[in-house]
Amino acid sequence: MSGLRSFVARRLLLGVAQTAAVVLLVFALTEMLPGDAAVALAGDQPDPARIEAIREALRLDRPAVERLADWAAGLPHGDFGTSLASGRPVARYIADGFGPTLLLASLTVALLVPLGFGLGVLAARHEGRLLDRLVSSVTLAVYAVPEFALGVLLVTVLALRLGWLPPTAVGYGTDLLGHPAALVLPVLVLLARPVCSLVRLVRAGMIDALASPYVAQARRYGVSGARVRYTHALPNALAPAAQQLARTIDWLLCGVIVVEALYVIPGLGTVLLNAVAERDVPVVQGLAVVFGVLTVVLNLAADLVARRLAPRSGVAA
Amino acid sequence: MTRLRTGRFALGVAVVAVPLLLALLGPLFAGEPGPRGASFTLGDGHWLGTDFVGRDVWQQVLHGGRPVVLTALAATALAYLVALPLALLSALTHRRWLEELLMRPLDVLLAVPSLLLILLAATVFSPGAVGLALLVAAVNVPDAARLVRAAATEAAARPAVEALRMQGETWWRIAVGYVGRSMLRTLAADAGTRLTGVLYLVATAAFLGVGVAPDAADWAVMVDRNRTGLFVQPWAVVVPALLIVGLTMGANLLFDAALERTGKETRP
Repeated sequence: MSGLRSFVARRLLLGVAQTAAVVLLVFALTEMLPGDAAVALAGDQPDPARIEAIREALRLDRPAVERLADWAAGLPHGDFGTSLASGRPVARYIADGFGPTLLLASLTVALLVPLGFGLGVLAARHEGRLLDRLVSSVTLAVYAVPEFALGVLLVTVLALRLGWLPPTAVGYGTDLLGHPAALVLPVLVLLARPVCSLVRLVRAGMIDALASPYVAQARRYGVSGARVRYTHALPNALAPAAQQLARTIDWLLCGVIVVEALYVIPGLGTVLLNAVAERDVPVVQGLAVVFGVLTVVLNLAADLVARRLAPRSGVAA
Repeated sequence: MTRLRTGRFALGVAVVAVPLLLALLGPLFAGEPGPRGASFTLGDGHWLGTDFVGRDVWQQVLHGGRPVVLTALAATALAYLVALPLALLSALTHRRWLEELLMRPLDVLLAVPSLLLILLAATVFSPGAVGLALLVAAVNVPDAARLVRAAATEAAARPAVEALRMQGETWWRIAVGYVGRSMLRTLAADAGTRLTGVLYLVATAAFLGVGVAPDAADWAVMVDRNRTGLFVQPWAVVVPALLIVGLTMGANLLFDAALERTGKETRP
């Protein structure tokens, strides 16, 4: 038990360090601006009044350490500063974009887990046969394709040629649940890469686990096939995959940004891209902290869950 | 399974051949750009129609592959240029603090989504093609260094390294001559995976407008900019999108089949 506890402690410590690193890295953004940050951010028409306003908003006249302390102290309270472009608080931007992104992400994860595990186990059970070859080849092929390329092709075929689905979510605003048809393509595109990764992972782990002595022993005891597969082999098949699962989370977050841009969904990704285009540093910083901390927390959870599923991963692998 | 692998290899070559040849040789056959016509028209002397500013789509396609492929290759090479010395140094050193100093910061960086880092940097600098290659390389360093280090640590623990040390061989000779050489296969396997990942990132960043001019001849930029005309002139979007799909899909199939051929275990 002490081994597990020290693992959890070490993993939590790494998570804290990663969170601190994300906050520092994001803050360093304004420090990296060449020359006077206010002049650099003012853009093509450096109007003195605007430069003064930016300097005021970012409080550039104060030392960096003091600004970092102020900014970091505000983060836990949801105080992310105010936008340079509109003067609205950054927290409002995040609150506005949160709904659609959360809906997209939860729909995707809800479909990803059963689909990934189901197809992976299915392919492993039919190892070497037609079904396995089909699943393996398709997942391998789709695995590396960028979402935007896949997305526009699907729009062209399914929305424009066949007219089955709306091409974008334009005009629906944040009320996406009221228009489920508009969600089909984004979720499909968002699913493509993580599903492929998960299927390949589960398949490889299951093939190893099903060939192991403890599975043979369980079968000899007369334990039913389904129970052997899902309660004995599957958890062990997952443990070596913890790192890969974490990468899947990274892909989901990247994918959300691209998919929202592609289907014009007013979520966090769209807010981030607009802020990047306008060089609205406080908004970019706020969103980067949200995305970064989210990744750190999800990675942490994935590692802990994988550890919990197979504490003796060394034995089974 | 051998037949299947050969089949996959052939399929990979077939799928990747068209986009790769277009990317590498396209600019040689493109010729002089003609006069600009009306935007988003079909036919009228243009084989694939015209794009959002009235340029010939076929000519843009011929020019548009090279930046994607070259940036990806450069970024992969750059990532290893940094990751290899870092990993070798930390695997071969006996000073614990040096190892921690070299690898710990990378562990911490590993958690940040790669596209987010690229977008962050793009807010502050306005990176060109070189900047994009540097950025993509930088986000690949932590993962590459960790992988190379694992392979190097294994090789460095072998008795042969101890023997070389006792013979008084130089650090250089041990690190590059023995450890470096014995992990070539792992490196080759990782390079394949990494290149497909880098291709993905380079294309996606270009689609989001990072590291490219807004009217650049680049397949990813073409997909983005010509999307507005998808209803009237789909070819300006579909052709570059298909080429990117072919490039990434084919590269992945090819590398996977090539790896299995050399007897390495499959990657997950």
